[in-house]
Amino acid sequence: MIEMKRELPQVFESFAEARKNGFLAVKKIKDSGKGVVGQFCTYTPLEIFMAAGLVSVSLCSTSDETIPDAEKELPGNLCPLIKSSYGFAVTDKCPYMYFADLVVGETTCDGKVKMYELLAKKKNLHVLQLPRNQFTPESKALWRSEVLRLKERVEKDFGVTITDEMLRDAIQKRNEERRLLKELYELSTLCPPPITGLRQLQILFGSQFKFDWREKTEEIQNAIHNIKAAYEAGERPVSEGAPRILITGCPMGGVTEKVVKVIEEAGAVVVAYENCTGAKQMDRQCPEEGDPITNIADHYLQIGCSIMTPNPNRFELLGRLCEQFKVDGVVEMTLQACHTYAVESSTVKTFLKERNIPYLQLETDYSTADIGQLSTRAGAFVEML
Amino acid sequence: MEQITIGIDCGSAACKGILLKGGRIAASCVKPTGWNPKETARTVLEDLLQQENRTDEGIRVAATGYGRVGIDFAHKKITEITCHAAGADYLLPEVRTIIDIGGQDSKVISVENGKVVSFQMNDKCAAGTGRFLEMSAHRMGVDLSDFPKLLEEGKCCSLSSMCAVFADSEIVSLLAAGKSREEIAGGIIQSVVTRVMALAGRIGIESPILLTGGLAQFEGLRNVLEQQTGCPVNVSHYSRYAGAIGAALKA
Repeated sequence: MIEMKRELPQVFESFAEARKNGFLAVKKIKDSGKGVVGQFCTYTPLEIFMAAGLVSVSLCSTSDETIPDAEKELPGNLCPLIKSSYGFAVTDKCPYMYFADLVVGETTCDGKVKMYELLAKKKNLHVLQLPRNQFTPESKALWRSEVLRLKERVEKDFGVTITDEMLRDAIQKRNEERRLLKELYELSTLCPPPITGLRQLQILFGSQFKFDWREKTEEIQNAIHNIKAAYEAGERPVSEGAPRILITGCPMGGVTEKVVKVIEEAGAVVVAYENCTGAKQMDRQCPEEGDPITNIADHYLQIGCSIMTPNPNRFELLGRLCEQFKVDGVVEMTLQACHTYAVESSTVKTFLKERNIPYLQLETDYSTADIGQLSTRAGAFVEML
Repeated sequence: MEQITIGIDCGSAACKGILLKGGRIAASCVKPTGWNPKETARTVLEDLLQQENRTDEGIRVAATGYGRVGIDFAHKKITEITCHAAGADYLLPEVRTIIDIGGQDSKVISVENGKVVSFQMNDKCAAGTGRFLEMSAHRMGVDLSDFPKLLEEGKCCSLSSMCAVFADSEIVSLLAAGKSREEIAGGIIQSVVTRVMALAGRIGIESPILLTGGLAQFEGLRNVLEQQTGCPVNVSHYSRYAGAIGAALKA
């Protein structure tokens, strides 16, 4: 069993108020005796941690604050998400990274895989071997055995036993959460949508940082209720004629909200997110009947990320969402040096051209230096719709 | 009385203004943008009004270009991409491709019936822009306005860097190695066109093509563009005003 971290970092006193509060909130969880697991990716089967009574939290950082620290070891020309996340680990500036008793990564993109080797020197790290094919029996068997290996690691590190019953219960709870978040974002199929794309993103992104399942699901239910009630009362935060945009590409949140802002400031509205922050992880339900480990493994392996080859599930979802949300245009956000999404953007462009849906690719990083360029591109795109 | 509209295209290097009267160009004005785009735009507006002996009463003004955000007297703000498309269609009806080489960015716009179909702009980088050309000219001790003269004989040496900063040091080395300014100037133009062609390759080029932006009057640039695209490249007397014309049309 590992020893769980409860004391605050040495640099704590140098933090501003908001960050101190963030640390104190996680410390409270730790003091209650709960273990914390940090993960980077939508492929991580959170049901395992939930079944073990652990708190899990996303460690994908969304700010450029720690990039200079990360670049002491990592190359400059690397995806900002990887650099920023690593930077928070080396500077003890993120409460989730700092307090994580176990960090879980997958063999997704090359940048992350090699970063994990460095991170393993600083954190208790477990890497899942994720295959890049979702359909062969061998890939499925490998991934199932990896999910099982993760369960065993969690049992060993935290001194718990995870039964099938516990896993089934966790699957049901996570399904409920997925169903509610899907119900929430599907409100934007209304014309005009009842919320702006920025608000939708903030709710979806924020839901990753709520740690009590019951409170979280109640909050989402309340949000759905309030949005519906306001709409029925005649509130229209978005104008009827606003062009409807779907966002695809790399994960979003934090500083990359800038992409949503420039689109909406140009007079359009973001109705759907096909990325990891949105539909990619909420769209499907995990099967509840049968062997829970197999169900969890099969469910997660089908996520349509550009690291898969080929990657048909992304296109199935993208096409379906474009119809369901009556989309007028698609904007793809690729982070600098995210090779898999950047290369796949050419396939996305062709896919959408065949469907007569205008497409714009925006490459950006975690700085705010490119807001002018982004707003000119987004503005011109909205003007041409 | 004929309707008057004004378009102001406030770019990083120059601020261009056009006054349309009954749909025809009645006045034009261009000034260096300088450090205060808002004030420069105001003087361009006043200059245009003065040429027509008018006050701004009842005249609609649209602003475009990177400086548009600060132009508070404009009734409308439109991106330079949409405006270039409209303006280019005015100058060359049925234009399909616009190549615009501006001060801080270059772009290729694919157009149909004056409307944007798709576009590509260069990234946060000065490669293939007017600024790149200006820096290179400065390094060779040539005024930008004299640059076209260096291109007259069509001499050229190869310049391997597209990055403005690296190209700058490459030019120093070439000068030290005894290359003539004419040869280096040819290489610089090749480099600009190579960058533009990379953008064009992503959306495809169709004829007719109109070259716009501050460098449109460079005869040497146009020749190299024609060689590389394999198509005639059109230039209008008002090419650098394309954005302003588009803005005035949409005001």
